[in-house]
Amino acid sequence: MKLFLKELSDIPGVSGFEGKVREFIKEKIKDKVDQIEVDKLGNLIAFKKGKVNKKLMISAHMDEVGFIVSNIEEDGKLSILPLGSIDPRVVLGKKVVVGEKQILGVIGSKPIHLMEGYEKVSFENIKVDIGTTKKQEAEAKVKIGDFVSFAPNAMVHGEWISGKALDDRGGCSLLIDLILEDLDLYYDTFFAFVIQEETGLRGSGPCAFKIKPDLAIVIETTTSGDNPEFPEARRSSELGKGPVITPAHRGYVNDERLFNFAVKVAEENKIPYQIKRRTAGGTDAARIAITTGTPSLVISIPSRYIHSPICVLNINDYRNTFKLLSLILIKEVL
Amino acid sequence: MKELIKKLTEIKSPSGREDNIRNAILEELKGYIDGYEIDKLGNLIVWKKGKKDGKILLDAHMDEIGVLATYIDEKGFIRIEPIGGVSPYNLLGSSIAFPQAEGFVGVEGETSEELSKNIKNLDFDKIFVDIGAKSREEAERLVPPGTFGVYSANFKDLGERLVSKAMDDRIGCAIIIEVFKRSNPYYTLYGTFSIQEEIGLVGASVVAFDIKPDLAIAIDVTAHSDTPKGPKRMSLELGKGPAIKIKDSASISDRRIVEKLKNIAEKNGIPYQIEILLRGGTNAAALQRTGEGIPAGTLSIPTRYVHSPHEMIDINDVENAIRILKILVESDKSLL
Amino acid sequence: MVEIKEVLKNLSNLDGPSGYEQPVLEYIENVAKKIANVEINIDKHGNLIVRRPGKGKRIALFAHTDEIAFVITKKEFGNYFRIHTFGGVDPKVVISQRLRIHTKEGISYGVVGMLEPHLQTEEIRQKNITFDDLFIDIVEKADKVQIGDLATFDSEAFELNEKYIAGKALDNRASCTALLYTLELLNQFIVSGDIYFVFSVREEDGVSGAINASYQINPDLAIVLDVTHGDIQRPSYPKIETGKGPVLDIGPMIDYDYFNKIKNLAEKLSVNYQIEPNGNHSSTDTDSIQIAREGISTLLISIPLRYMHTPYEVVNIKDIEETARLLSFFLARGGE
Repeated sequence: MKLFLKELSDIPGVSGFEGKVREFIKEKIKDKVDQIEVDKLGNLIAFKKGKVNKKLMISAHMDEVGFIVSNIEEDGKLSILPLGSIDPRVVLGKKVVVGEKQILGVIGSKPIHLMEGYEKVSFENIKVDIGTTKKQEAEAKVKIGDFVSFAPNAMVHGEWISGKALDDRGGCSLLIDLILEDLDLYYDTFFAFVIQEETGLRGSGPCAFKIKPDLAIVIETTTSGDNPEFPEARRSSELGKGPVITPAHRGYVNDERLFNFAVKVAEENKIPYQIKRRTAGGTDAARIAITTGTPSLVISIPSRYIHSPICVLNINDYRNTFKLLSLILIKEVL
Repeated sequence: MKELIKKLTEIKSPSGREDNIRNAILEELKGYIDGYEIDKLGNLIVWKKGKKDGKILLDAHMDEIGVLATYIDEKGFIRIEPIGGVSPYNLLGSSIAFPQAEGFVGVEGETSEELSKNIKNLDFDKIFVDIGAKSREEAERLVPPGTFGVYSANFKDLGERLVSKAMDDRIGCAIIIEVFKRSNPYYTLYGTFSIQEEIGLVGASVVAFDIKPDLAIAIDVTAHSDTPKGPKRMSLELGKGPAIKIKDSASISDRRIVEKLKNIAEKNGIPYQIEILLRGGTNAAALQRTGEGIPAGTLSIPTRYVHSPHEMIDINDVENAIRILKILVESDKSLL
Repeated sequence: MVEIKEVLKNLSNLDGPSGYEQPVLEYIENVAKKIANVEINIDKHGNLIVRRPGKGKRIALFAHTDEIAFVITKKEFGNYFRIHTFGGVDPKVVISQRLRIHTKEGISYGVVGMLEPHLQTEEIRQKNITFDDLFIDIVEKADKVQIGDLATFDSEAFELNEKYIAGKALDNRASCTALLYTLELLNQFIVSGDIYFVFSVREEDGVSGAINASYQINPDLAIVLDVTHGDIQRPSYPKIETGKGPVLDIGPMIDYDYFNKIKNLAEKLSVNYQIEPNGNHSSTDTDSIQIAREGISTLLISIPLRYMHTPYEVVNIKDIEETARLLSFFLARGGE
């Protein structure tokens, strides 16, 4: 396993602006696949022939949550709108990068000395400071419509990795590793790196429409909640317990046969796994199912603090998810 | 008819686990259809050829709402998440049928104040299911995480009023089955029994894609306004006839279909109601959106206590719905 | 031939609730046929597709023709009825309005009345009004009014200070007018493109018709024309003003290459333009058109409008002119 996760985490790739992520991935896989193309909207689709003529689409999304510059204020600060679902409280006091030129900025936060009681946070009063003090000065560097991304900050700590955008660079990294592994694929396999999942499961629909897969597996990096502030009974998954297999989530109940098959493969090969315990949140599996009627399944790497500037992931879980998928991709599922 | 409704409503098939109900529907239709297909997602499509070129599609969803067992704690108590619009309040005092166990819902509350507060603002975080297991292992054996459950409730015949879980939308399935049994279609008649409507109109999003019918009608339940201090802005009463839907919060019925159904009802003296549903949607929304577009509408059965274990309908509304549809299906008038 | 003020006033005064747009579509079709040599096509949902055939890129422009409206949902005693909406309407703005109702036997009128202040209690005075609090008093042909009848604001469009038009449904009749004017302006060009003007249905409520039209046409570029809030400060947004020209929208649902092309063209032509950001949604047909089929390159252009979704919306005529001017040059160059 190459595990390009740290590199992938550090690339800016907010929903709608996935270009640099796509370039990195394409570089790594283009000589290892039978065909590669970028579709109209920017999805990256790599094809590897299998043993049978049936089509499997395995996808991960390239985009991360972030922001778009919505206004340049008179005082040279930038107003922003979130892209994807972000708790405004996680953005205070963070370093960001803005636009193609990757202008550095700070989302400042009011000093506690000057606060009277608890002050609520909302995107309306969050501004990005790029060091300019006048609107004109700022307009020379950035524009309305530029993306704003959390600054790169990935670090590997032995068996753990912390960094931004692990949702879903974890999935992207895994797909790269699966391609590089040169598996004896059972199905004609389309490895799809899709755009704009965070803003409404958008890229996967047109992608599936193009491929028309017979079955689909979506690789996500998913929620956990295994921290002291959250009751055990309400957790979604736990780090260290292996790949997460999802029975149902918003908008879709995963295909029963695919679900049972994945569980069977994990058990037969003694790979630790967990059944996802919460149905909150949706994935591209729902989009794919309603676009082309393709039975789909979500398999995820568990992660902490997704949709924030710093997520945490356990490399053992990554390894076990990789193992599970390597075994699934060489077998007949449906 | 009552036997058919009883049979279908008592089958346990929540969204994503429709095998049982699909088999039962197919069984009922044997001998009354020219062919059938089960698509990749599990939708059941049946058809009966007509004399003329043209296609009418009637859709009902096979799935019912239910719950998903997600976690077993050390003492053998089970946590659940809803599949579709199950309100936790509907679980208090009723029970849940899992394939291998029956579960009863309890509410957390370390003090009587907390219990009171939790019941006032009940959500799935504050309830748990007790199947009488004495250990985690025992519970996991009977209801492993990933197990689906449905309301445990039998069909009750009160005369003209029938009560059961899953009238939504087994009543639609029953109606379509009867239309196939009793009609001699002029145009080709398609019946689609769709999966996973309750969780997001999933099956209906693709079921009509290859068929490309000239018009599609979803048969589903709708709400009511005829109970004490019932919704003040709607007029839907049990027994006053099937409801021809103008709109709900997901779709606006194609006005040509509304006119068509109204004309049939009026010309043939069949009682009907006009429906505007303030909150709720049917597969018609997904059918409309398919491909190049399909003119779609909904014919509804007014129902009390929708999404509870005891949904109530009036058998006359059902029979009148079948009458309207039979006339539609056998009519030689142009389709739209 | 297209006198903008006249066309806009006529369009404003026509009643075309979502799903019931025929009078508006008929008028547009007649105007379009008089302006240019076009092919007319009505698709499965009733979208009016006006094609100006040509060689080159297939470019489709979309403007929805429907307006927010009301529907009679229940009869109370006397001449009183209850209403619901098609689309999003602030209930407060319906107070003390007269609505025109389309009954089977012609137009009728009703007043949404408010209890006189002398009789109001403190509770009534302070209440946050919802549609459950409103009723309509049908003052004409009350016996002809039925549940399911549609109604619109009884506004008549007029000029404000010579620069503006005030009237209902300028969302989105202003865009329809801009498209008709664009069609006329194209007569002066040799156009390098196969241009489709899609006057679409059901954007304000239900399943939008534009999705299916875009599926059917599958253009190389889709340009959606809608309105946006003008002359009102929204936190984190630039101030969009009426009279300052068309608004070019930007965000993840927009093709940035085409955006830059049209922006550069606007600068070359000295068309005043404004830029509006969009985050997760644009709340227009652009969102769903972008992901139709295998994906479609999309642009969204908005006309600034005051008092959206109220009986008297206001637009600046110059904004419509400039939008059309920019579009006509852009289309003539095949979107380059």
